[in-house]
Amino acid sequence: MRSTDSLIVRYIARRSVPFIQLYALYVLGHGEDGPGGGFQGGVIFASSFVLLGLANGWGYGRRAAPARLLDPLLPLGCLIYLGIGLAALLAGGAFLEYGALAGSDDPEVRRHWHHYGLIGIEVGVMVTVSAAMATLFFEMARPARVQARVDRVGEEADRA
Amino acid sequence: MPVALAAAVVVILLGVLVLLRRVIVGPRLLDRVVAVNVIGTKTIILLALVGYLAGRPGFFLDIALSYALINFVGTIAVLRYYEGRVRRGEPVEEEA
Repeated sequence: MRSTDSLIVRYIARRSVPFIQLYALYVLGHGEDGPGGGFQGGVIFASSFVLLGLANGWGYGRRAAPARLLDPLLPLGCLIYLGIGLAALLAGGAFLEYGALAGSDDPEVRRHWHHYGLIGIEVGVMVTVSAAMATLFFEMARPARVQARVDRVGEEADRA
Repeated sequence: MPVALAAAVVVILLGVLVLLRRVIVGPRLLDRVVAVNVIGTKTIILLALVGYLAGRPGFFLDIALSYALINFVGTIAVLRYYEGRVRRGEPVEEEA
């Protein structure tokens, strides 16, 4: 996919990326008391890369979110989620019982740790969702010439 | 004050009706795209008004902001499709 002919669209898309990503982090941080959370924040975060890919061309967007960066992030988010859940289990609570992470019976301290745990798993969800959404877009929009190169590499690997 | 807000909501909904006619009638593809985009802009204002009517403006303004971003990306996506068809020389308008 070539970039668009319109300089204005290309420029606005590039310049709005940091604002979209900042807003995604805001949505992530307000998941407890507002609309949002990890999933919504992740989708908004990924939409910044989708916008880059649409306006500035597939290659430009893919360089901003390369496969070698996104592919490890997909399982990393799941591992963050699982890790916090298992950490609560190891600390003597139930799976994902964040209060147990405090290692204290003081209800005030447990309440604080409940929030830390909640934010932690939301970060994990956001990492996986944003990587998955960006990967979905870039893989589906892959131009024919890139697809041909990928096919050639795959065939060479099969022969080897 | 709630009466004024409700009146504004009604006026904006009437405006959406007028725009829906433009989306359906066309006649050109760009007319439809612009009409859909303006409906999106009206939806943002509608969300803000409903937020004040519901007494939770902060909650609804967050949704309105997300909607503005997604609306922008969606319009760019439709226009890229249009641009691609023009470049390949494919027909973009339906037969009259």
